[in-house]
Amino acid sequence: MQDHDFDRRTFVRRTGAVTGLLALAGCLGTDDDDDNDDTTEETDDDLEAPAFPEVEDPPDAVYVPTHRESMRMLEPVEAGDYTIAPMLSYPHPFWILTGGAGGEGEIERNDPEQMDGVHMMFTLWDDDTGVVLPVDSGNAIRVFRDGEQVGSPRSAWTMISQAMGFHFGDNVPLDDHGTYTVEVELPPLSTRTTGQLEGRFTERATATFEFDYDEAFWDHVVGEVEYLDEEYWGQRGALEPMDHGGHGDHGDQQEHDDDDHDHDGHDDHDGHDDHDHGDHDDGRDDHHNHDDIPYSALPAADAYPGTLLEPIDDPDTDLPRSGDAAFLATLFDSGSRLVEGDDRYLLVSPRTPYNRVPLADMALSATIERDGETVADTELVQTIDGEYDLHYGASLGDVQPGDAVTITIESPPQVARHQGYETAFLEMPPIELTVPEG
Amino acid sequence: MTLPDRSSLSRRDYLRALVAVGGATALSACVSESDDVDVPTGTDDPDSLPARQHAWNDALSRDDHGNVQPPEHHVLVALSLIDEPSDDGRERVEDALEILERAYEWSNEGLVFTLGYTPAYFDRFDDSLPETVDLPEPEPLTDREDPTFDEFDAVLHLASDRSQVVLEAEAGLFGEADELNGVDVETGLTGVFERVEDQRRTGFVGEGLPAEHTELSGVPDSIPDEAPFFMGFRSGFDRSQATEDRVTIEDGPFGGGTTQQISSMDLQLRIWFEQDNHYQRVTKMFSPEHADEELVGDIGEALTSTNALTDERIESTQDDARTRGVVGHAQKAARARVDGEPPLLRRDFNTVDGESPGLHFLSLQEDIEAFVRVREAMTGDDLGVANANNGIRSYIFVTQRGNYLIPPRSLRALPPANPTGDDSSEET
Repeated sequence: MQDHDFDRRTFVRRTGAVTGLLALAGCLGTDDDDDNDDTTEETDDDLEAPAFPEVEDPPDAVYVPTHRESMRMLEPVEAGDYTIAPMLSYPHPFWILTGGAGGEGEIERNDPEQMDGVHMMFTLWDDDTGVVLPVDSGNAIRVFRDGEQVGSPRSAWTMISQAMGFHFGDNVPLDDHGTYTVEVELPPLSTRTTGQLEGRFTERATATFEFDYDEAFWDHVVGEVEYLDEEYWGQRGALEPMDHGGHGDHGDQQEHDDDDHDHDGHDDHDGHDDHDHGDHDDGRDDHHNHDDIPYSALPAADAYPGTLLEPIDDPDTDLPRSGDAAFLATLFDSGSRLVEGDDRYLLVSPRTPYNRVPLADMALSATIERDGETVADTELVQTIDGEYDLHYGASLGDVQPGDAVTITIESPPQVARHQGYETAFLEMPPIELTVPEG
Repeated sequence: MTLPDRSSLSRRDYLRALVAVGGATALSACVSESDDVDVPTGTDDPDSLPARQHAWNDALSRDDHGNVQPPEHHVLVALSLIDEPSDDGRERVEDALEILERAYEWSNEGLVFTLGYTPAYFDRFDDSLPETVDLPEPEPLTDREDPTFDEFDAVLHLASDRSQVVLEAEAGLFGEADELNGVDVETGLTGVFERVEDQRRTGFVGEGLPAEHTELSGVPDSIPDEAPFFMGFRSGFDRSQATEDRVTIEDGPFGGGTTQQISSMDLQLRIWFEQDNHYQRVTKMFSPEHADEELVGDIGEALTSTNALTDERIESTQDDARTRGVVGHAQKAARARVDGEPPLLRRDFNTVDGESPGLHFLSLQEDIEAFVRVREAMTGDDLGVANANNGIRSYIFVTQRGNYLIPPRSLRALPPANPTGDDSSEET
């Protein structure tokens, strides 16, 4: 199994192309010798963790974090309808959310309880459509070493990070070096699925993978942390999505500037794997590439059909925002495949403002008003569609041009956050839209 | 099985570990550790004991708030019949159990126990169980669990505050002790039942006991010192428990009995205590309002005798799912209350079987369907809330499940499926 380093695509801010931003400041350096093949020794007592600087007074919005984490990618595994790509990094802080609309204690920064171990992640997707599945019905992870279970089972958190997009992850303590086997049990998906995903993911599936936890791993993932220049920390903006290995020939360091039309969506991972394969050879088979691991970017706004609802207040962004999340809201023509009969389908697709990462596990509702009277008031159902990906939708029988549509965020996305996302998508005021005339 | 290392454990922990090991050598180690402990003796008059096997509450002590204090030490002895049930076997079982009742007071200090039978046990009879008994085969109750099932015949639940007593009682029943608290063991279960060793389960409950297991990697140091359960909070509040009357089968030949289900589960405590904060734990265990209004205290001590689930807090479960993005475990499970009354009598206990933290969730209810309803309400798939915020779902992993009928005391020894049937059909 081959490790793939993420190529060091230039961090690009929302405004202005900046070069030379990345300060490579791996605090431990990289051990190029990599001749350590110990598999049984205990880990060092005091692993030196890469620095995790706090950003002072970050905005209540998506902001540029202090660094980009490095990781090892393992070979994707198929399990039933699911495809899963495991990834490993060093244990690092993240934020978990229980509520999040402002209550004291609802969001908690989680520092690793010990540095011995890994930050275990996986991306879960449907290989037929490339749609990343951004919801959890109750995954269970069991870790084994030499046939013995290590620690209790756990459910990985659903998480969003700027570089990784939506993924599952957690810090998993490991006390010893060695080869570990991981079983990921995936229950049937309980979220509504439509289009090509309808009727899929109805069976429990178990994916199994192995990895070596040793000094070479540590050196690899720690040695390649990339710190940004301090002047950019906390600025509004985001890291680019990480490269899963498929961008080698693009060469276009395009900005993920906004949630609009300037790039080619999440199916652009079609390049060749011609970049540096990295300096860490763990002796495994080297015949796999990861070109096909998707990043969880939603389609750009112009990929959605129907009538785009217009914000009442003219925003300075292409899509209206709430809590710094961009909201695409469109009204499908009557009789679409997403409704019964002749109804129209209201599709609301909240996403991160730069990388179009889906914001799952929100509670949204829509109110339709005409001449000051409420004509409809409905919950929007979280749905994953093979074409339109994660969204919240409702069938509407009576909606007309000129109607006012209010999208109310009853609760914000209940997903754990990596640095740069933990202050956004929390307090989310309603979004006021109208159905355009003609 | 080897004995635990005495030098590395507290006395209390050592006794717990001996219960987990079981057997004659553990017993003798336990006895030497417990010398001069005076265990109250039982009764020579079986009729003086309650007609219900599960009538424990009047015999158990209560805390300052009136909550029943469960015995500290528990053993579930899994039993498999050697021969088909016979009158001789019945007599032996009854005699053996009466010896326990003579040896030990029916109390925390002595011993309380039940003997329950699985659907597999009753399958051998031509007759079906009467309609008044709801005892289906155990099955998975959510999409995310795939437990193994208790397919042996019976389980003996032994419980006492004295580890020595649960060990001794088991040893006496299986020919490993000649005398129990001064009573000669004339008859045991040997010859009728054999133990299913790999299904023997043990556990403990009591303030401070979980925190004595931080030597296990699955039990973090951050578990509160006084917590009686691994999840860090009190449980079994008097007003959140069904009464024994409520869980008792009213009619039919097994009237006076009850059903028991045991779900064994692994617990993920490192995330629970190291990642979630107290506010989040209270939210997920009880309800968002419990957290906002600080109703619980560190370990539930502020709740005194109730889990404070008012009708309003139960009814707001769906609203909390929508507007808070999180619901509490107790809150959503309480949706299964019937006319405001909890349907389950919980007698669950912590375990470190397998050297990792877990829970043997043992509940009594009039019918298994009542448990299934509570479990469905607790699973909360209808709430549309993120899995990690759906109560404590992310922290529990069910591994094993069994359903049992606990007959009334008069039928506790190898009951036929239909005791009042026209024809005794057990020897077919």
